[in-house]
Amino acid sequence: MEKQFSLDTIDVIGPDHYARNGYPHPEWTYLRKHKPVFWCEHPNTDPFWAITKHADIVHISRQPRLFLNGPRLLVFINEPGMDLAPTPPFRHLLDMDPPEHGEYRAIVSRKFTPRGVRELESQIDAIAKKVLDDVTGRDRCDFVLDISSKIPLAVIAELLGVPHEDWEQLFQWTNETIGGTDPEFQQGASVQETLDRARLGLFQYFTDMVAQRIKRPTGDITSIVANAKVNGQPLPQLELLSYFFLLVVAGNETTRNATTGGLLALIENPDQWERLRKNPSLIKSAVEEIVRWTTPVIQFARTAAQDTEIRGQKIKAGESVCLFYPSANRDEEVFGEPFKFDIGRNPNPHIAFGIGEHFCLGANLARLELEVIFRQLVERMEYAELAGPVERLRSSFVGGIKHMPIRMKLNPARN
Amino acid sequence: MKVIVDLQLCEGNARCMEAAPEVFEVRDDDKAHLLTDHPPESLREKVKLAVRMCPRQAITLKEE
Ligand code: HEM
Ligand code: SF4
Repeated sequence: MEKQFSLDTIDVIGPDHYARNGYPHPEWTYLRKHKPVFWCEHPNTDPFWAITKHADIVHISRQPRLFLNGPRLLVFINEPGMDLAPTPPFRHLLDMDPPEHGEYRAIVSRKFTPRGVRELESQIDAIAKKVLDDVTGRDRCDFVLDISSKIPLAVIAELLGVPHEDWEQLFQWTNETIGGTDPEFQQGASVQETLDRARLGLFQYFTDMVAQRIKRPTGDITSIVANAKVNGQPLPQLELLSYFFLLVVAGNETTRNATTGGLLALIENPDQWERLRKNPSLIKSAVEEIVRWTTPVIQFARTAAQDTEIRGQKIKAGESVCLFYPSANRDEEVFGEPFKFDIGRNPNPHIAFGIGEHFCLGANLARLELEVIFRQLVERMEYAELAGPVERLRSSFVGGIKHMPIRMKLNPARN
Repeated sequence: MKVIVDLQLCEGNARCMEAAPEVFEVRDDDKAHLLTDHPPESLREKVKLAVRMCPRQAITLKEE
């Protein structure tokens, strides 16, 4: 049954709503049907158009000169204690527009092609195996703390060439950056203090590492970025450090949440788990479905460079549109039975990784990580069930599960 | 129908090759190469799927 809402009170952006209820799918379903381009006002942010249809997000994303990233990257809800007019603290790929964007993206894009990431498969396999070995024999764990958060972090740290002893520190800064609006990660500090502390920590860390890699380059991504040139010049300090910041943050929470949400979906749909166990060759389409199902990134925004129209609705220059990816990935006009978790879904044109100019640079890496993790889980996890409530992150940017206690039986690796 | 790949945008994600292997081939340079730029009518649906699946929106289908 479709739920009814009033357009005056419908909420798709308040972080508390996400912490309490998870994704507002009933609200998005209502908007897709009745008001797919919806003017949203919220006391703690500038107004924006909520875009909820798959076709409209594709239409906007493939016109990067008309719909800009630079002015407003996402719809951020200001909190008490937030700096209301911060000078932009970062400048990375997601803040850039053509033609500059393409030049910066090309610096590392070859490392992230399917061919580029396949070289990492055995390393990822070893990382995942070690993480699972560490909890084998236990009958309970917090799937997030013990498993899903560890693997993506280790992979990106490996890629960047960060030494093992620093991984914990990197993990904490990442948590604080994305979870800065969640009380658990604030440690008594305000949102702004938490974010600033994490950013300064990361910036200092990579400043030191860059200096080393300029002196002595290795093959890692840090060396490539540290020694890169755009228009014949080395990257300015802000752009250089922001590059690392983006790589560290973008690949962590997202992949973690796809992993956690993926296991949750398999627990809730035991027939699909059984199906995967019997047909391991479904792993690739299972991963696509997990990514569609979880859609870890809730939204990014674009700002119109000139007057335009979406679905007949006039959009004025300077107004922003907020692209709700999870809504697009449940669009009835694109997916048959969108609310069914079907690991054999094909084709699966989801846009959980975005599309067009800013299409997720790490998509092939994320896919490979998820493939490795779920291949091992399906092989080794005899059963798993929830042992307590799932706790969600208070964020309307990345859909996070903070804690997921499970009871389980995990077998030792076969070989 | 004529198919065009914008090589500036293409990053070798190879979704096109999965959708229409008769038309697209991603080679060692991590770019999609066209096996034919005038695919037969019978491949239209597959090519349309490739256009839709290309994450960089690098493929254009032109009617002639
Ligand atoms: C399941 C995991 C992931 C999801 C759901 C995800 C999602 C996204 C989304 C929605 C975007 C914006 C796309 C757009 O605006 O069209 C994006 C951009 C990006 N992602 Fe991911 N991501 C994931 C994993 C990763 C990983 C592992 C990395 C590794 C480094 C990464 C690096 C990036 C970067 C650098 C960008 C910016 C690209 C640009 O602006 O050109 N992501 N991602
Ligand atoms: S799907 Fe698009 S980006 Fe990927 S190889 Fe084909 S044309 Fe290039």
